[in-house]
Amino acid sequence: MPTFKLDGREIPFEKGDSIIQAARRAGVDIPHYCWHPGLSVAANCRMCLVEMLPPPGRKPLLLDVLEWDAEKEDYVPAKKPKLVPACQQAAGEGMEVASDSSEHVARARAAVQELLLLNHPVDCPICDQAGECRLQDYWLEHQGTKKRMKDEIVHKPKGVVFGPTIVYDAERCIVCTRCVRFCEEVVKDPVLEKRERGNLSEITLAPGRELDHGYTLMTEYVCPVGALTARDFRFKARVWFLRSAQTVCTGCATGCNAFTDFDPRDQTVYRYRPRENMAVNRYWMCDDGMLDYRRIHENRVLEARVRGKKTSFEDALEKARGILAAAPAEQLGVVLSAQHSNEDNFAILRLCRDYLGTGHIYVSGRAQGLGDPVLKHADRNPNTAGVTALCTSTPPKTFSELAKDIHEGRITHVLSLGSYSSDAEKTDALTRLQGLVTLATHEGPLAKHATVVLPTSSWAECDGTFVNAKGMAQESEKAVAPRGHSEPAWRLAGHLARALGFPMAWTKLSQVRKAMAPEAGASVAMISGAEA
Amino acid sequence: MEPLDLDLDHGEIELAAEPMLINVGPSHPAMHGTVRIVMELSGETIERCDVQVGYLHRGFEKMCERGTWTQVFPYVDRCNYVSPMLNNVGFALACEKMLGIEVPERCQWYRMILGELARIADHLTCDGAMVMELGAFTPFLWMVKTREMIWDVLEEETGARLTHSFGRVGGMAAPPTPGFKEHTRAVVDHVRRVLDEVKRLLLGNRIFLDRLEGVGVISPEDAVSLGWTGPALRGAGVAYDVRKASPYLKYGEVEFDVPVGTASDCFDRFMVRMEEMEQSSRIIDQCLERMADEGPINVDDPRVVLPPKDEVYSTIEGTIRHFKIVMEGLKLPAGEVYSYTEGGNGELGFYLVSDGSGTPWRVRIRPPCFFVTGGLERIITGQMVADVVPCFGSLNMIGGECDR
Repeated sequence: MPTFKLDGREIPFEKGDSIIQAARRAGVDIPHYCWHPGLSVAANCRMCLVEMLPPPGRKPLLLDVLEWDAEKEDYVPAKKPKLVPACQQAAGEGMEVASDSSEHVARARAAVQELLLLNHPVDCPICDQAGECRLQDYWLEHQGTKKRMKDEIVHKPKGVVFGPTIVYDAERCIVCTRCVRFCEEVVKDPVLEKRERGNLSEITLAPGRELDHGYTLMTEYVCPVGALTARDFRFKARVWFLRSAQTVCTGCATGCNAFTDFDPRDQTVYRYRPRENMAVNRYWMCDDGMLDYRRIHENRVLEARVRGKKTSFEDALEKARGILAAAPAEQLGVVLSAQHSNEDNFAILRLCRDYLGTGHIYVSGRAQGLGDPVLKHADRNPNTAGVTALCTSTPPKTFSELAKDIHEGRITHVLSLGSYSSDAEKTDALTRLQGLVTLATHEGPLAKHATVVLPTSSWAECDGTFVNAKGMAQESEKAVAPRGHSEPAWRLAGHLARALGFPMAWTKLSQVRKAMAPEAGASVAMISGAEA
Repeated sequence: MEPLDLDLDHGEIELAAEPMLINVGPSHPAMHGTVRIVMELSGETIERCDVQVGYLHRGFEKMCERGTWTQVFPYVDRCNYVSPMLNNVGFALACEKMLGIEVPERCQWYRMILGELARIADHLTCDGAMVMELGAFTPFLWMVKTREMIWDVLEEETGARLTHSFGRVGGMAAPPTPGFKEHTRAVVDHVRRVLDEVKRLLLGNRIFLDRLEGVGVISPEDAVSLGWTGPALRGAGVAYDVRKASPYLKYGEVEFDVPVGTASDCFDRFMVRMEEMEQSSRIIDQCLERMADEGPINVDDPRVVLPPKDEVYSTIEGTIRHFKIVMEGLKLPAGEVYSYTEGGNGELGFYLVSDGSGTPWRVRIRPPCFFVTGGLERIITGQMVADVVPCFGSLNMIGGECDR
């Protein structure tokens, strides 16, 4: 692989790489605002300027400039090398580039940073970006000086509602055009544009339009400063109180890699952020996925119920045991959940198929939605592929088939994981069941008609593996503690099995995974959630 | 006095042949702070003893690992709470060594004056308490009254009498008050007068001398091998003083002597402290002379020092600077450092490890008391029970610092 030298360090690069790209891959960060690895090069922020050293034996290209001399109190002629933006300059074999080691680069960065802060409002205390703002980071790293401008700053519109999800603050904006390029290049919906020039420039909407495509929250995500803020997250939490877990979005079968940001003090999830994975979601997530974190807190089943009345967990477990013990094996159906992880499904499957001896396996989940060509999959369940892979011998039947089997009297008892029905019109069939035990995370038809409901943890409350539509198994980390009285479904399956007198002695997730390995590993390549 | 059991004649009482085990502390008026000494007595002589420390352990070093570097200052205040200012300055110097910065000259003089005042307060407390425990109450009252006057100065400067939390990385929390020099001079004069009076009262007193002279002797070699520093080591005749051996701040530029003992007994340790107070007063005089009345106290480094409030409220640069230092903490470069100063009881060392973030990775304190207290067993074995009090007093164990 060819290399070039950055501050004396050899950096390998591929043909077509820019300096900043190759440096990023080698783990060297060159400060930048407007450049984003997933977007085209604009080179308008000038923060990534670097010095190209001349080839050996050649004179450097120097520009004549005027420099302030504090002693003479006048400008004096001086020379400085021409700096180039690292995001635009293609890397070349044997190039020598000075970034942190160049005094000219340091001065250029300080000057660029000072310019960007020239008209910036004093907003940090009320700005959601504070704590993860490039302006703050780079001020400390590259500027570190006081304000020199005595004039009033230029005032521009604040709190401009761009659409249902995004609010724009023109005063904070550094007009890096990342959001403009994102809409144009990734979503192919050029709804944002830049207007005016100089310190009057701002981002504006296309005439007659709102920022309302399916990826609006990504404009907030690519914004390096606090100009674009998400209406969903505005003023809800301060980012330095949040911790992140590496999770997988459960909004659809794409399985986008995400960070789940939660506040450890009140165990509340506040947002998702995309996590880079070039094999799955690259840098992005869709709006529906980004807001899917709400399901962790909304519409949850948090207490055990018997016939709609809240009971203790022990009573519910005893009731469930009675139903399952009395159910004839040939009339017992088990509903797996495409919403739950491999581990949860495997534990239920082991209980029903191997111990209770039923052969009637169904799968349910959220109903089909609309996909898009960018990321969104029509299957709104994260683990359909995983459940299918778990049922090695016979593929699971659908919810509609379950309804048909109930009507025809072949199924009288059901143990269900999850409460979603993938066919809303056929949920009436559930009323004909003699016994329905549901391990439910959310309220739904299967929880509503259940004889016994046991509260189940959501994906954010336990570790789990999800297999996306491409067949990639991805691990999702636990973020917060299980809500209410809920427990992970694999643990509930263990409780049920032991109550029924079966030797299912799992107490740790690793034990479930060990038991599952031969079945899941047969058809699914295990790929951890990190970069693939 | 009549024997309690009237049926028994004199001489018939059989004293137990085996040694008596007696336990003093951890909560006992003679055990400053909380320490426990288990003694095996034969008659009134200590045959063996076991000094047990750790009753005041609060996990100070671990606590430091969760805040910012600046938030460590209140903790070091509570290490040696008799001279907290010395700890403040010691910790600030350690952080500054890591950052490679030096505070402005005015601040260096200011730190020296406040530190020496704290040293005088420390020694007044130790010597005062020592004589009080031997029955001389008057010198104790005089000395503690003088300590109050020193605390008045510190309160005027810092706002707190005991736990000042006044040090900052890169400077001090506030510049000297306008009346600082005048106030300090008056107090130092008073210190000198009181020291003279105390000496006149005690040094001709046969009882006082007999309780101290030849009691609690340790050889200089033993003292060094135990890791003793400070007045206890100097009392044993070893002239090691960090201020002279490796001068920090401006100690290289002021004149002062390092008093040493000759007999390495309790009396020498007492006298070394008395003399050190004189020397501290000398240092303060010189510092007051040389400290400028105007000039910056804090370094001009935006990474380290908070901006003035009006800048925070009116400019984005000031806001960012304030935000970064308060919310993330000032960042020490990744690495480790050992920095040591002369504390009230000897070499006060801070070993810091930083991972480059705003939170300490490890803060280890070398408390002078811990090593000095380690020698207590040696100097009281073979002594009488009553000698434990001056021996222990002369070592000046400070629980907060020793147990951390």
